Formats: sequence, structure tokens, C-alpha cells
Amino acid sequence: MATRNRTLLFRKYRNSLRSVRAPMTDSKSGVGPVIEMASSSLLHPKRSYAPVSTEDPGSSRGGAVTVGLPPDWVDVSEEISVNIQRARTKMAELGKAHAKALMPTFGDGKEDQHQIESLTQEITFLLRKSEKQLQKLSAAGPSEDSNVRKNVQRSLATDLQFLSMELRKKQSTYLKRLRLQKEDGGDLEMNLNGSSSRADDDDFDDILFSEHQMSKIKKSEAISVEREKEIQQVVESVNELAQIMKDLSALVIDQGTIVDRIDYNIQNVASTVEDGLKQLQKAERTQRNGGMVMCASVLVILCFIMIVLLILKEIFL
Amino acid sequence: MVLVTSVRDYINRMLHDISGMKVLILDSETVSNVSIVYSQSELLQKEVFLVEMIDSISVSKESMSHLKAVYFVRPTSDNIQKLRYQLANPRFGEHHLFFSNLLKDTQIHILADSDEHEAVQQVQEFYADFVAGDPYHFTLNMPSNHLYMLPAVVDPSGLQRYSDRVVDGIAALFLALKRRPVIRYQRTSDTAKRIAQETAKLMYQHESGLFDFRRTESSPLLLVIDRRDDPVTPLLNQWTYQAMVHELIGLQDNKVDLRAIASLPKDQQEVVLSSEQDAFFKSNMYENFGDIGMNIKRMVDDFQQVAKSNQNIQTVEDMARFVDNYPEYKKMQGNVSKHVTLVTEMSKLVEARKLMLVSQTEQDLACNGGQGAAYEAVTDLLNNESVSDIDRLRLVMLYALRYEKENPVQLMQLFNKLASRSPKYKPGLVQFLLKQAGVEKRTGDLFGNRDLMNIARNMARGLKGVENVYTQHQPLLFQTMESITRGRLRDVDYPFVGDHFQQGRPQEVVIFMVGGTTYEESRSVALQNATNSGIRFILGGTAVLNSKRFLLDLEEAQRIARSGSHMV
Repeated sequence: MATRNRTLLFRKYRNSLRSVRAPMTDSKSGVGPVIEMASSSLLHPKRSYAPVSTEDPGSSRGGAVTVGLPPDWVDVSEEISVNIQRARTKMAELGKAHAKALMPTFGDGKEDQHQIESLTQEITFLLRKSEKQLQKLSAAGPSEDSNVRKNVQRSLATDLQFLSMELRKKQSTYLKRLRLQKEDGGDLEMNLNGSSSRADDDDFDDILFSEHQMSKIKKSEAISVEREKEIQQVVESVNELAQIMKDLSALVIDQGTIVDRIDYNIQNVASTVEDGLKQLQKAERTQRNGGMVMCASVLVILCFIMIVLLILKEIFL
Repeated sequence: MVLVTSVRDYINRMLHDISGMKVLILDSETVSNVSIVYSQSELLQKEVFLVEMIDSISVSKESMSHLKAVYFVRPTSDNIQKLRYQLANPRFGEHHLFFSNLLKDTQIHILADSDEHEAVQQVQEFYADFVAGDPYHFTLNMPSNHLYMLPAVVDPSGLQRYSDRVVDGIAALFLALKRRPVIRYQRTSDTAKRIAQETAKLMYQHESGLFDFRRTESSPLLLVIDRRDDPVTPLLNQWTYQAMVHELIGLQDNKVDLRAIASLPKDQQEVVLSSEQDAFFKSNMYENFGDIGMNIKRMVDDFQQVAKSNQNIQTVEDMARFVDNYPEYKKMQGNVSKHVTLVTEMSKLVEARKLMLVSQTEQDLACNGGQGAAYEAVTDLLNNESVSDIDRLRLVMLYALRYEKENPVQLMQLFNKLASRSPKYKPGLVQFLLKQAGVEKRTGDLFGNRDLMNIARNMARGLKGVENVYTQHQPLLFQTMESITRGRLRDVDYPFVGDHFQQGRPQEVVIFMVGGTTYEESRSVALQNATNSGIRFILGGTAVLNSKRFLLDLEEAQRIARSGSHMV
């Protein structure tokens, strides 16, 4: 893939033309290097072309255009992306916690459960918050700035949706594996109980049975309570996720459709701007031709006529 | 993958090194180059939050200095002027200029002169100057395509511009591939000869340093040929998916605009048919209509099964699964409706225009013999009320191209009948076509009746019978590719430019058709590449033709030729 860099030639021409244009060229040296430092820090360190800072300061620019201050909504968008980044790191942690909890251990595993729950809650909270903030980015009116805002919104929405899906997938695989593990353990117990119950017989066995049965019932109760809790969790997370997805789906672009085409978006912007202009013109016209304006002007004229009549009456009487 | 990948690589490199929020500024040609290979969502991932055209940028006055501007435009004098204006009043924080072709020193000078605020960070040439629709097919989307049919004296400056644009496009392609080819051209075409010579001058003299790439074992071959050597292919009706959509509805930059055809819901009015993004299209784009119908039915059945299972939500797990799979489901639904809509609309058109009947005769005219039977068939169809004007014109043209010299009386009768039946027919158009692309002007053996080998082959094929009457036609390009593969492309017909000769068989061949390519030909190239014969073919043209476009070019050329002859 061949390319050709014309920047050096361009700079050479630019410098020579500048010296021709303004022979008394010394730049304000105080401002020069400061601007250079500011703009070079924004540059990516691994640039392929020669960065600005290697130019000798003597010929540096006077009226350079620095990267200006962005508008306020950029702060909101940056906050959202920071939150998304935090959610991503927490997801990685969650993955590790899941793996740890699934490993067979002696002991309760309750701390692992707690950690998993708290992590999941934090992530869901972050996603929820980001999604609410995303709504703030919407702007009205067809201007260039609003297009930028809309696109930033879309990009963040896509990231959010992706993270939500990932969270759901992680959760469901974890739950599935957990259930498998528990079932294996439960089955084993059930089998043991079953075989021992068959071996015994008669009243003595009845008492023994009832004890076995009691413990069995208690166990199955505990299991069902746990299952209910799990189901409750799943329902909650599904609800939350459905809510997020519904809000996001309006913003996220469907890949492969016409909406994902750059030329379609450019045309659309042009046509919405035109439509907006037409609407404004129409509104202006209706306002001007509005009945209100007519009434008001008629009334004002009548008032004038009355005043004139009044004055004439005074004069002649 | 080659062409699409090279353009994508260029765009990736443009955007990769520049951090922060960016605005991408394109002109009316580069917007096609970029849109066809890069999607809006991918741009958003690269932090490009605004895409504008270079024309409209000048109008607005908003200052957006927190954005960095990435310009990707063609180095035309028009664009340079617009850039001058914008550099004099810079609106953005940084300006990175990327041009899709070679810049002249004077142009750099002009830009440097107007960059008083030193707003420009870099000036680069990234040679993505062609529209890469498919992996092995590109086009230049040129507007005044008809100029190649006219002699140079009619509009010398127009023809010069035309030729320059083609040379630029071809040069950009080879720079993107990092190759310098051996060039051959079709002897009988002046335009092809001119383009081949100017390309050689550019690659071997003016910019020989830039094109001096590492030599591989065998140089690639650039073959410049003329559309008029095969006027039959663009006139035929098509029955394979991609070609058929372009012929009946129209495919522009891989987009289909259905608004003129039928009133459809908003999300189906314009659709995208891209083999890169749509797996179903990729596996069906070269299949014929019957097979497509079956495959679509299968796809619809699969989708209905998924839909039914989605409606059958009973447990909480089902609910969770539904929410998880919803985006995929939505995507599948969109894809299914797109293809169903397309096939439905095309079926309606086939029915209304009686295309099955018309196309059978067309294929017979193109492939089989028998002048008498052909005359009867064409006359019948001319008398048939349901056949549309454009189809009548095509039939007479195909007949005229084939039986130009046989039975001139009957040919004249057909002309008269056509003129009487079609009120909008521009008189003399068929004769103009014969003058441009008649049997004396053609090099190749279009109907397989010059060369003994071809005659024998045709007879054998006739005896064997064909699989599908509607797709029996092979474009002339197929024969050309075979000759190249066998190393038997005749020097007499396709001479070399300059003194660079080819040793042995080339491994990469770029065939450029002045006047435009068709999707039937791009299909032929793709199928040829799939046979892994050791040679990779790439096809390109000044435009992608369907019969409507080809006829329009002919009409336009005829109009100019007539007015020119009046002046003389």
C-alpha cells in the first residue's frame, strides 16, 4: 500500500512564502514555545510524520490555532466513557471472581458469593447511570454541533449495549455452571438417601425414615429457597437489561443496514437541514399572516382613529 | 478481498494516528470510495463524530476548534480552491490533508500560500481513488461516460479530462497494489490506445521513482480494452442475483433505491447489498433466479422457526434467552425482509415486462444460430403489445449486431417496425451502434463464428444442451481471460506499449474496460478466480453498466456526433 508524504515539501513552500510575505518576521518568542508544548502534548507519541516540536523555535508560528476548548457536553460524554471504562475493569474482576467461585473448595464459598453480588450490582449501577446520562446528550435543532453530539451518543450507546450483553452472558454461564455443580452434589446425596432407605424396613426403619425424610425435606426446602432467590435475581437483571436495551436500541445503529452507510447519513443531514429550513420559513409565514397580527393591527388603527376623532371633537367644540 | 482491503487499510491509517474527536471531510467522489468499504459505526469507533462534504463546510460558520479535521479529497483544482478558502479561515483545531491521487507541485504551492495560519499538520497522498464494490471488481463512477465513443476531434478537452481521470484511477490502483505492470491495449480502439500510452508514460517516465517497486518474478499485466468490442453483454437481460438487481432496479455503490419502484415501509426503501456485510448475499450473488428463490424460502422458514420459539416464552430462562438474542433476531429479521422485498419486486417486473419470453429470444440471438428463426422470433415480439419499448430496442439491436450482413432487407424491415412501434425511439440509434461496434470494428470473436475452434465448440454445446437457457451466454471477457491463462493473447490484436514485454504468463492481471463493465462480467471474473488457475484477475471500468445506462451513453454520443457533423 503505497503512500507519499508531501508534508516536507509543503512546509518548505509555506516557510519560503511566509518570508516573502512578511520579511520582518520575528515571532513573539514568549508565546511560541508554550504553544508548541501545549500542542505537542496532544500528539500521539508514535506519529509517522515529523512532529511540530522538532522545528526550530526561531521560525515558529505566531498566530497558531491551538486546539480550542470544547463545549460543555463533551464533559458529560467524557464522564460516560470513564464510567464505561470502570465498568469494563470491574467486569474483568467479575470474571475472575466467577472462576474462583466455581472451583471446588472446602468451606462455604459465601464470601465469594458476596463479592460476586456486590460486583454485579456495581456494574449494573454504573451501566444504569451511564445510560441515564446518555439521554442528556440529546440536542435539538439541526446544526453541525448537534450531529457531533448525536454521533457521540450513538458510539457510547453501542459500547453500553455491548457491555450489557457481555454482563448478561457472563451471568448466565456462571449460573448454568453453578446449577450443574449443585445438581451433581444434590444427586449424589439423593442417591445415597434412596439406597439407604431401600435397605431398611419396619417401624425402626420408620423412625429412621422420618429422620432421613426430615433432613431430605429440609435440604430440598433450602434448595428451593435458593433457587427462588436465583430466579429472583435473574428476573431483576433481565428486567434491568430489557429496560437498558429498549432505551439504547433507538440509538444504536444496526450494522449492515442503510442507516450504517456514511453517504446515507450525509444525505439525510442535508435533507433534515433543508426540511428544518422549510419548516422555519413556513412558521414565519404563518406567523406573519396569522390572524392575531391582523387583529392587533386593526385594533391599533381603530385606536388611532378614535384618538383623532377625540382630538377633532375637542377642537371643534 | 484485495481491493476492498486496500481502501480500508488506507482509511484506517488515515484515522489511526490522529487521536481525539475528528471530523472527516469528503468530496462527492471520495464519499463513494469511503462509504462502500467503511461503515458509519466503524467510523464512530475511530472517534470520527462528524462527516461533512467539502462543499457544505465552506457555507457554515460555526467554529469547532475542538475537532480535528481529516480531509480526504481528490486533488482537483475545484477542491484546491475550496481548501484555500477554508485554510484562510480555519474552523477546526488541526487540519490533516489526504489526497486520493498525485498532487502537482503547483497545487502544493497554492495550498502553502493560503495556509497563513499554519493550520495544516500534514499533507499526504493516499491512493484510494477508485470505488471497490467487490473483492475483484472496481469502478470509477464517471459521469460523462459516452465520450469514449467519439473521435478526439469532437471534444478534445473533454476527452483529455476523461482520459486523465482513467489514468489517475488505474495509477491509484497499481500504487495501492504496489505493482508496476506491463501494459497491453486493444489495437482497434483509439481511446484504449491513448489511455494505455498515457498510463505507461506516467508509470515509466514522469513518476518512475514512485512506481519503482520491488520486482516479482513476473510483472502483472494491465490490459486496456474497449466496451465496443462486446456490445452484447450490456444489452442482455440478467438472471443472476447481483446482475439482475442492477439490470431491473439499479445498484449504485452497493445500494438499491426502491422508492421509484414501489411504495414500501421506510426501512425497506433503500437497502444495502454488500457481499462483505451480508452472508446470504455473498453466497447467492452469482446464483440464478430459481436457486435464489429456493434459498430465500429456506431462509424464511428458518426465520419463522426462530420467531415461533421466541413467541413461546414460558419460563424465566426463555425470557432471559430472548432478551439476550434480541439484537441478532432483529438483524436476521431485517435481512430476511430485505431479500424477500427485492425478489418480490423483481418478480413483479419480470411478470409485467414478460421478460422470460424476451430473454429467451435474447439468449438465442446471442448464442445460437439460425437467422430465419431469429427474424421470426424478433418480429413476433415486436408485435407483442406487452413488450416494453426498451426491450424492443434491445432485441433489434442484438439481431442487428448478429446478422448485420445477412439479409439486409429483413434488417431494414425490423428497423422500420421498431420506429413505428416505439414512439420515443431515437431514429438511427441502431445504425449508430453498428457504426460504433459493428463486425468491422470488433476484434474478438463475439459470436463464436469466426474461429473454427469456436464454431466447433458452439456446435458441441448446442448438441449437448444447456443447463439453463437464460444463463447460457458467456461474455467475451471469458474468452479473453482464457487466452491470457493459456498465454495465447495475440500480439496483433493486443499489442504491448513501449518495449516492456512479458515473459511467460502473468500472475496478476488487471483488465480495464473503457466504457464500463457489467455485473455479468464481474461474475465471470469472480468464478474464474475461484478456479485457482494460478492467475488472479481484477476487473475495472469507467462505470458499471446496465442496458439503460449503455443505451443512454449511445444516445448521448449520437446526439453529440450529429450536432458535430452539422457544424462541420
